[in-house]
Amino acid sequence: MSFTYPLLASTISASGGEGQNPFEYLFAHVVAHKVGSFMGFTVWNFQLFQVAAIVAIFLAFAPVRRAIQASGGGYATRVLAGWVSWIRDEMVYPNMGEAMGKKFLPFFLSIFFFITFQNVFGLVPGGATATASVYVAAALAVIIMLMMIVGGMLVQGPVKFWTSLVPHGVPLWLLPLIFPLEVIGLFIKPIALTVRLAANMTGGHLVLLSFMGLAFYFGANYGTGLGLVVTPVSVGLSVFIMIIEGFVSLLQAYIFTLLSIIFVSQALHPDH
Amino acid sequence: MAAIGAGLAVIGAGIGIGKIGGDANSAIARQPESTGDIRGSSLIFAALIEGVAFFGVVVGLLFAIK
Repeated sequence: MSFTYPLLASTISASGGEGQNPFEYLFAHVVAHKVGSFMGFTVWNFQLFQVAAIVAIFLAFAPVRRAIQASGGGYATRVLAGWVSWIRDEMVYPNMGEAMGKKFLPFFLSIFFFITFQNVFGLVPGGATATASVYVAAALAVIIMLMMIVGGMLVQGPVKFWTSLVPHGVPLWLLPLIFPLEVIGLFIKPIALTVRLAANMTGGHLVLLSFMGLAFYFGANYGTGLGLVVTPVSVGLSVFIMIIEGFVSLLQAYIFTLLSIIFVSQALHPDH
Repeated sequence: MAAIGAGLAVIGAGIGIGKIGGDANSAIARQPESTGDIRGSSLIFAALIEGVAFFGVVVGLLFAIK
């Protein structure tokens, strides 16, 4: 694609590719790429942002414990403390009960804030959304799946967990149909969690990419003048989508955590 | 073909989420005091529908890339 667009020309040459088209340049933000190697392992840019998310969580939440116990702290600390107690009171306790919720609260808090920080780091300029990778989302979902299966077998007993998958009052001739369906459902739930998180994060970036690409498309195909005319519209739409994505990145962390809470508590207590 | 499949998935999700949104709004209008509960559960169901729709879109995308 021969491309002469004045605003982006410097960016493209700065990134090293003469023949690189703008869509590839923008798409490089969405897909994972290698940034180096560490002790024989290839390091992807997503991993850097995962580590950054963990470091940021530790830095942000170090004063929160004191803020909750003694109700002090700065502005951000108080916001995070309120957020933590909101998750406890609105998400974990109503769905798991207080006794079990106390044990699982740290885990679900970590899941929630890990996903949130990863999602939000994807919106930072130059950042990459680690959760947009299927592998990252699948790893999180596998943890949930193991908690459902292993935790359910530990709490209910190894045999009773599998027998209590079938709801009460099912006729006997339906059992060969219902039991495989319930077992498949046990594995479909984490897959659905994976696809929902990864596809939402990738989808938001792709929408942003297509709105930004609008200006480049008009500039490349219909002349630089029309490209410059379209640019404000394109940038405005991108900003609009960016705001929506800021909301979506919080919403998806909420959805992932809430559904994991529901799935895990269902696996631990089959009765409700 | 992949684009048509993605479009069909979006139609289904649109119908589903639209119905949830409409019903949630009328439920909130009937009982404004339980706004929080209704909002939470409608978000969950919207997410479930959205997950199914994303299956369709992702399969369409995979076909389009290959």
